[in-house]
Amino acid sequence: MRKPTKHLDFELNLVPFIDLLSVCICFLLLTAVWLNIGTMNVKQAVGGQPAAETEKKPIIWVFMGEKGDLTLEAKDASRLPAGLRKLTIAAGSDGAVNAEQFDQVMAKMKESEPDLRTALIQPKAQTSYETIIDLMDRFKKAGLNDLGVVPL
Amino acid sequence: MMNQSVLGQSTLTGQLASGSLLNPKGHEHKRNMASDLLLTALVDAFSILVIFLLMSFSSTGDLLSIGKDTELPKAALTELLERNPVVKVEEGQIYLEDKTVSGDGLVAALLELRQKFSAERSGAEFPGIVTVQADRRVKYEFLNQIVLACAHAGFSDIRFAVLAK
Repeated sequence: MRKPTKHLDFELNLVPFIDLLSVCICFLLLTAVWLNIGTMNVKQAVGGQPAAETEKKPIIWVFMGEKGDLTLEAKDASRLPAGLRKLTIAAGSDGAVNAEQFDQVMAKMKESEPDLRTALIQPKAQTSYETIIDLMDRFKKAGLNDLGVVPL
Repeated sequence: MMNQSVLGQSTLTGQLASGSLLNPKGHEHKRNMASDLLLTALVDAFSILVIFLLMSFSSTGDLLSIGKDTELPKAALTELLERNPVVKVEEGQIYLEDKTVSGDGLVAALLELRQKFSAERSGAEFPGIVTVQADRRVKYEFLNQIVLACAHAGFSDIRFAVLAK
């Protein structure tokens, strides 16, 4: 006995699907925020654990000059060669921080002292916020994630 | 004269009449004018759009209200923006959670915020996080008072709002 063949080919009604997609697109386009905002985190020292009890970690102090020059001073970094413990990076030709030289110096420092993770930035009163953030970004790229800003 | 010209002829009376679906007499050249719309391509395009918009959907922009004259500095390696008390610098004014505060009053306002947190969540550890939102051209002498006030009020974790590159 032969079974009746069932017609399996059917048509999907796409109209509700298109409606749904259109509503989704309208909603997402209306509520879209195209600015991608993030944060640059800075840990400030607050309060008082005695200095003697504080674990000594290698730190770089960065003194920002008025004209884009930077003075780097490493502390508690015994593995750093003497030439890298204190040095000055002159400003670039445009009067801003010489980013290329800074990156090279940081790469050398990080290679000599892998435990170097902390940097304290001491800006001048006239240093712009953008320059400070740019410097922090460069420190992060070099692998120094614990950053601090020294008040005036 | 006008009736005989091409412009004077309507679809029903003109030469196209025989081919028009509107003319019931034009059976001899009747063509099916209803063409099938290719919906698959449309659905594909819509799906891709929805996926793209969902992927680029960001809710972090709602956490900060940025004034039209404020340009945040740009950075490549940024952390995720979270909901924290916001100290905003706009047109030389300092705002804490959208309320104007003076430079001297910022410490008191931050301490008040801290007390409020302790009262609401007794026993919970105070996180001490504050988000600072300022224009990229602001000088550090102005930001310094905010950094100092945060440190005095016990907000040790300062998060500078930046635009991700």
